[in-house]
Amino acid sequence: MTTDVLVAADTPSAEPPGRRGGLSPLARYLLIRLALIVPMLWVLVTVVFFLMRVIGDPITAAQGGRLTPEQIAERKAEAGLDRPILVQYVEYLGNILRGDFGTTLTDNREVTDILIVNGAATLELTFWALLVAFSVGIPLGRIAARHRDRGPDVLLRLFAIVAYAAPVFFVGLLLKLAVAPFGWPTSGRASTATELTLAKVEPQTNIMIIDAILWGEPEYIWDVLQHAVLPAIALGLLTGGIFLRLVRVNLLQTLRADYVTAARARGVSERQVERKHAFRNALVPVVTVMGMQIAILLGGAVLTETTFEWKGIGYELAQYLIRRDFLAVQGIVTAIAFIVCIASFLIDAIVALVDPRVRF
Amino acid sequence: MRRRVTVLATAALAGSVLAACGAGQNDDDSDAALIVGTTDKVVSIDPAGSYDNGSMAVQTQVYQYLLNFPAGSTELTPDAAEKCDFEKPTVYVCTMKDGLKFANGNELTASDVAFSFKRIVDINDPNGPASLLGAMESVEARDDKTVAFTLKAPNDQTFAQVLVTSAGPIVDEDTYPADGLLDDDAAVEANAFSGPYTIGEYKKNELAEFTVNPDYDGTYGEAKSDVTMRYYADSNNLKLDVEKGDIDVAYRSLTPTDIDSLKKSDDVTVHTGPGGELRYIVFNLKTMPGDDDAQKQAVRQAAAYLVNREEIASEVYKGTYTPAYSAVPEGQKGATEAFKDKYGDAPDQAAAKKTLDDAGVSTPVELNLQWNPDHYGGSSDQEYQAVKRQLEEGGLFTVNLQSTEWNTYSEERVKDAYPAFQLGWFPDFPDPDNYLTPFFAPNNFLQSHYEDDAMTKLLDAERVDADEASRDATLAKAQEMVADQVPILPLLTGAQVAVAGKDVKGVSDTLDPSFKFRFTALSK
Repeated sequence: MTTDVLVAADTPSAEPPGRRGGLSPLARYLLIRLALIVPMLWVLVTVVFFLMRVIGDPITAAQGGRLTPEQIAERKAEAGLDRPILVQYVEYLGNILRGDFGTTLTDNREVTDILIVNGAATLELTFWALLVAFSVGIPLGRIAARHRDRGPDVLLRLFAIVAYAAPVFFVGLLLKLAVAPFGWPTSGRASTATELTLAKVEPQTNIMIIDAILWGEPEYIWDVLQHAVLPAIALGLLTGGIFLRLVRVNLLQTLRADYVTAARARGVSERQVERKHAFRNALVPVVTVMGMQIAILLGGAVLTETTFEWKGIGYELAQYLIRRDFLAVQGIVTAIAFIVCIASFLIDAIVALVDPRVRF
Repeated sequence: MRRRVTVLATAALAGSVLAACGAGQNDDDSDAALIVGTTDKVVSIDPAGSYDNGSMAVQTQVYQYLLNFPAGSTELTPDAAEKCDFEKPTVYVCTMKDGLKFANGNELTASDVAFSFKRIVDINDPNGPASLLGAMESVEARDDKTVAFTLKAPNDQTFAQVLVTSAGPIVDEDTYPADGLLDDDAAVEANAFSGPYTIGEYKKNELAEFTVNPDYDGTYGEAKSDVTMRYYADSNNLKLDVEKGDIDVAYRSLTPTDIDSLKKSDDVTVHTGPGGELRYIVFNLKTMPGDDDAQKQAVRQAAAYLVNREEIASEVYKGTYTPAYSAVPEGQKGATEAFKDKYGDAPDQAAAKKTLDDAGVSTPVELNLQWNPDHYGGSSDQEYQAVKRQLEEGGLFTVNLQSTEWNTYSEERVKDAYPAFQLGWFPDFPDPDNYLTPFFAPNNFLQSHYEDDAMTKLLDAERVDADEASRDATLAKAQEMVADQVPILPLLTGAQVAVAGKDVKGVSDTLDPSFKFRFTALSK
């Protein structure tokens, strides 16, 4: 798809350099990005809708087994699944435009309700995972760059590959087995007693750590933190491995740049060169990738959430898949696509604000 | 400064992990409240919208039924009713107890009872239990204390059992809508419960807090402690938590391997009881191997001679399933061991060969056997590999195993696509008829072309026979006929398994064929 149509025709008037059609480069960039979201979402929604229909009809999938063919046919008619597929598709698009992602087949829940209730858990896990990813990826990336091609660098690169490539459920299982004998929590967002207490917090945010802080007793905060450690490590290492490699590569590149050579020539110490001149610039690509990672994490980390009983959007998606509730899956996947697209746009906007090169 | 923050964050995380070595679990059980873990999911607290194990586990604790099963018994006992009996062959009448109330203060009367049954039929929710009330013509409250059910068939002996199923919970007509479902949060908020517990905190499929209802007057007796139900997705987490003592009881569903491992633990006890689940092979009488009906029957009988149920139960399922020697599994009232009587309890190659030879069936018989990888548990693969090996052992059969995902499986099995295929069954209520009529009556759900006038007569007779001894005799005849004709080949029946801490009492009391896990039986 070309973006020409989105760019206003040049006016030969005395426009300031870099402006077209009265729009600043930043505004133009953001408008184009925003306009691209619409066809992207339409394609996603369409693919998800027709994929779900290819799999089979949702009624048989979720409720077949004990129902006779007549009962299944009756229920298909009730759900409107006996109508032509294009009619269903147009209706589905209309519902989405009204913000209605549908209702689950197996337990009559609104998909929007799932997003609100379980989205908080996903948001919390995203925060913890990023905390781990930054704590691991950025300092270790710097260390690897400093010791380029020497022992620490080789070891750290190996670690990054393993962290990135190892399946989350496998890492999760290893972590659980390692700490279970010591009584450390291996699943859930808090112990039962804590969850029952925090359910009474007003206002209820569903973000466990915030609810614990609002409740104000250290034992509950500690309990929530304990429960967050394993899933944060399992998911954070994956992202941390990516960050480590990115920081290392970009730092090595910027350390070879002319302005860095010039700084060295001025007698600036190597430590200062790296900290003041190279590191900040090396972070720009990291921020871009980080944005994409955040967007993906916000869509729900299915395997991590399921492995650790972290009841977020990814967890719910997995549960509905297991129950073959394809209407729920269709709604949740579509909603996740929306979240990822909007999060990506916001992150692009932030990157564009931070790094002027992106706009041109 | 920023470097310091990063270092601090890393140190804090590392510190947390290191602190784990000295960390104990949060074992705040000052009020001896119990925590029960499960992987079952709740579809709906509203009885009109659910017909599944997870929902029933909640409904069992918070609703009353007209009749119920006390722990460890399958004898029907008055719950909200004072008594129930046939007034006429087609009219079943229940008289209510005095002074029954819902926890919200509303009175529980016969009108609520009639409303509860009517709305299930009227709403007819796809996930609901309306199908269980197929025998009910109508229901009416004659006065505050009397409710009368008009039945479609005279003397229907199974109807009383239906009152204890997912169709039986009594709801408050001032709270529940007549034409739609009440969502879970609204149901909890309304507190229209009259069972042994009410619900405190509730997060659907995460946590449910059951608080003792002091006003309960029913079959189960007084609850001993509050209970919190914790929901899991991964049975491995359920296993780890019960092992560590983070939860007191793990009830449904641990894998056979996990149960086997927990049996060796000093910290927990593995409790088992009759479960009622039946796993079996269905033969499509039209498409299965054999040139005529006699040959097809011989093939089925030969298979019955060759399967080794004991081996599958112990090797594949580690004792979590036991051999099933009848269509009505062991532990159910009226169950016989018709298959053991006819075919023995160990493979008999000679008898199988003679059966096939006598019918003129050429061997090896090529049998396409279909199984399902995603609906009957992760061990189905091993189960059917074992069946294949057993049938092929003497060279009488060549078995082609094929598997299909459930969505397709459900559609194809009723279209004559599979000559022989795997199915499983959970009973609706603990009555032998529930293992026979749905399978062998005309237009049964198996859709395997089995229909037999003699069997239909037997089933029609047992359903309306009020005399227990004569009914049992009829049921035995029906089971004998199944063993002779082999329209299905019963393999295993599932034991109910619950794993509990050593300090938990009462678990075994509630593991009975009624399949109701009553929290009232539990204490620490």
